[in-house]
Amino acid sequence: MKFAKKISGLLAGALITVATVGIVHAGSDVPPLAPLGDPPIPADNKLSDVKVKLGKMLFWDPRLGGDASTGCVTCHEPDQGWGFGDALSRGYPGTVHWRNSQTVVNSAYLMKLFWVGAASSLEKQAPSAAKGGVAGNGENDVMEARLAFIPEYRKLFKQSFGTDWPLISDAWKAIASFERTLIHNNTPLDKYLRGDKKALSAQQKRGLELFNGKAGCIACHNGALATDQKYYNLGVPPSERWGEDGLAQITFRYEQFAKGVTQKMYRKIKDDAGLYYRTKQKVDMGKFRTPPLRYLKYTAPYMHNGSFWDLTEVVEFYNQGGGENDFTDGTMAKSKSPLIKPLGLSEKEVEDLVAFLDAFSGEELVVEPPTLPPYAPLPNPAKN
Amino acid sequence: MKTFGSKTRFMLALSTGLIGSIVFLGTVIAGQNNQGPIKPIKVDAKKAELGKRLFFDQRLSGDAAISCATCHQPDKGFSDGLALSKAYPGSKGFRNTPTLINTATRKNWFHDSRIGTNLNDVTREMITEDYIMNMDMRLMQERLKQDPVYVKMFKDAGYGEPSNGSVRKAIPEYLKTLTSRNSPFDKGSMTPAAKRGYELFKGKAQCASCHSGANFTNDKVYNLGVPENPEIWSDPMRHMTYVAFGTFMGIGNIMNVRRDVGANILNPKADGSNIAKFATPTLRELKYTAPYMHNGMFNSLFEVVAFYNHGGGEDKNKDKNLKPLELTFGQQKDLVAFLEALSGDPLNTKEFVWKEKIPTNYTAIENWRAVKN
Ligand code: HEC
Ligand code: HEC
Ligand code: HEC
Ligand code: HEC
Repeated sequence: MKFAKKISGLLAGALITVATVGIVHAGSDVPPLAPLGDPPIPADNKLSDVKVKLGKMLFWDPRLGGDASTGCVTCHEPDQGWGFGDALSRGYPGTVHWRNSQTVVNSAYLMKLFWVGAASSLEKQAPSAAKGGVAGNGENDVMEARLAFIPEYRKLFKQSFGTDWPLISDAWKAIASFERTLIHNNTPLDKYLRGDKKALSAQQKRGLELFNGKAGCIACHNGALATDQKYYNLGVPPSERWGEDGLAQITFRYEQFAKGVTQKMYRKIKDDAGLYYRTKQKVDMGKFRTPPLRYLKYTAPYMHNGSFWDLTEVVEFYNQGGGENDFTDGTMAKSKSPLIKPLGLSEKEVEDLVAFLDAFSGEELVVEPPTLPPYAPLPNPAKN
Repeated sequence: MKTFGSKTRFMLALSTGLIGSIVFLGTVIAGQNNQGPIKPIKVDAKKAELGKRLFFDQRLSGDAAISCATCHQPDKGFSDGLALSKAYPGSKGFRNTPTLINTATRKNWFHDSRIGTNLNDVTREMITEDYIMNMDMRLMQERLKQDPVYVKMFKDAGYGEPSNGSVRKAIPEYLKTLTSRNSPFDKGSMTPAAKRGYELFKGKAQCASCHSGANFTNDKVYNLGVPENPEIWSDPMRHMTYVAFGTFMGIGNIMNVRRDVGANILNPKADGSNIAKFATPTLRELKYTAPYMHNGMFNSLFEVVAFYNHGGGEDKNKDKNLKPLELTFGQQKDLVAFLEALSGDPLNTKEFVWKEKIPTNYTAIENWRAVKN
């Protein structure tokens, strides 16, 4: 992100002189980082091999979308960290998305999904992805009808759910089951926290110290998932693309419209108000969910609008005390988290912290793409 | 159906009354005296001009790949020359694309007459229907606001800034300009064969009992026993579209249906007697709109006339008034000549077609942060 680069350049000199500002003595009242166990499995959607197999196919299948071109995998590409490697995600054809595509790896552990926690389970998240105007733009009746014409799916749905005809609600359950297998919990950090002291380098151990201490990351990125799953405004700057790209401007306004802001706000707003769209509370403007940090190595760019392309930029951003957006300077609100202050990290400390962030990622999660089964005519019922 | 901006169920309720009042054949030879030219409809020129551009603009569909004119093509009488229509990408249609010429004079719309309110509702249906244009009208509105040409046209038309509501007014305004003109029938320049055909049409062949009035339709629905188009059920892409449609419309036992139930959705009867009733179409501009019937099962007018001569098709609920007509070969040809005399000038000139290029991408609004959205 160019904005942050410039600022950090300007501030670098100043920061060195600000001795201890920004040291957060967190850690006493927050859960420490911990190795990650297995994800919770809801009682009403138990895992089974056949369901996971089906869910994987459906995750890849663009027929679960409006014009049969855009499946989950289109924006959650396995070789792009199971997200999409651009600041703003690609959108449904004819559109661009307005947020960064999140990884689906480890989404199984989260209580709420999306950058502002708009979905309360993977089962509820999938339909809003498949149906959203700038995502899948599909409709239930069309998608459900398509499934019925794929004999292989009829078989797998029957085996998974016992139905004669596939139900679209079961498609979301199968996808959720597949996502529950995209687990990343054997990272160097997990190994270290389980007792393998050699799993982290000396530099990474210094970074961990900083993470828990001087840099104050642990205040929000805590517990086994490295997130408190709460919402904060760090002052991540608005996407530059909104000022430059007609397609992005359309989506920006559409999202305001679709999320039901007041007419007055619709006219005025120029930045993503985040959690505000859910709560309609001014104090929530510009707040986004603390992301989990595992698999980070593969999921650039970072932040809700992909403002930063590498982790050094992210750490420098924190080091300078976050940034400015329309909800920090009073244009719309003043909601920046008081936890975000200049940290006074030296260049070496920045490097140590960045090295430590690497420990949140293990081997890349590679899977064999499924073969998608074709449509076939339905046998005539009279001749059955 | 896109949830935003669609009220199909409500509209269905409004049009159910129509079915109950089917006029019995033979008792009234309706509208015989007013089968003259279609009166041009007064329109607001600026609104119609705006509607014209919208009609030809692909950005009105969800993935910006098709426009109204993809299916309603000016050179083909605003139909598409296909037995069964195309659809939004990813689907295929299950009905024949009807002409839009004179559609503004109709009392209800679609082959099953499922909308009985107005063209504003029909336009919304076309734009938002999943297998037609699959457009979230809120996104459409923002697309239009991004195009300076539209911003000006909406303003000049008196609509203020681009909005969904005005789109649904401007397109119908344009559709009103699509009226038949200069057919031999209207000009009084029919051939002797066509004149003989007209006599048969009104008399022995009894066509005018349903094809009445200036637009040659009484806007009612009948079962003629038109054969099913097997492709709807053998091509999964078409069949699944019918299933999606039927699921939304509440057609029972939809997975086992292998027949387009037509107007039965408006007024389902337990004995099935309303199944396969379809709306009487206009007979104007047939020259451009082959193939014929709701499912495009007939390729030529001669086939259609032969079908009527035969007393229609096979169906236990076929309209009782359809009987073999016992027309000679020559009489059938006369009838065809008459039907051909109902086609006028093609509406494919600048007056009806937006000929300038419509951009497919969008320029950024300058100084975006400073201007109001
Ligand atoms: C057009 C691109 C696109 C498509 C298609 C798409 N997604 Fe996403 N996905 C995104 C974006 C962008 C976000 C973040 C959106 C936000 O928070 O507003 C996201 C977020 C998510 C999340 C939340 C992760 C978290 O950490 O909270 C999950 C899970 C997810 N998507 C799964 C899916 C599934 C399952 C499908 C298919 C049914 C799908 N996505 C289709 C772009 C897409
Ligand atoms: C006040 C709570 C808070 C603190 C303290 C905090 N973070 Fe964050 N972190 C967040 C939030 C919230 C986001 C997402 C913000 C957004 O997208 O606007 C985030 C995003 C990130 C991301 C991007 C992740 C992604 O997937 O895009 C990284 C990396 C990160 N933080 C690392 C750190 C480090 C390192 C520290 C300590 C220097 C730190 N955070 C301190 C709340 C916090
Ligand atoms: C994908 C092809 C397709 C597109 C695109 C399309 N239509 Fe249609 N249109 C049809 C079909 C097929 C029917 C008949 C539907 C039925 O009977 O169920 C129809 C019916 C109509 C009718 C009713 C005509 C009558 O006399 O009953 C009108 C009016 C109409 N369309 C206008 C439009 C407008 C305006 C647009 C653009 C906003 C549009 N259509 C886009 C295929 C299309
Ligand atoms: C009982 C009412 C009725 C009578 C009588 C009748 N029609 Fe029709 N006509 C219809 C209906 C209803 C349709 C549409 C059927 C469908 O779509 O399946 C139709 C369709 C047509 C079509 C196809 C038009 C198109 O655009 O697809 C032609 C041509 C036609 N009729 C001509 C005639 C002629 C000629 C006669 C007299 C021999 C006649 N009709 C008698 C009701 C009638």
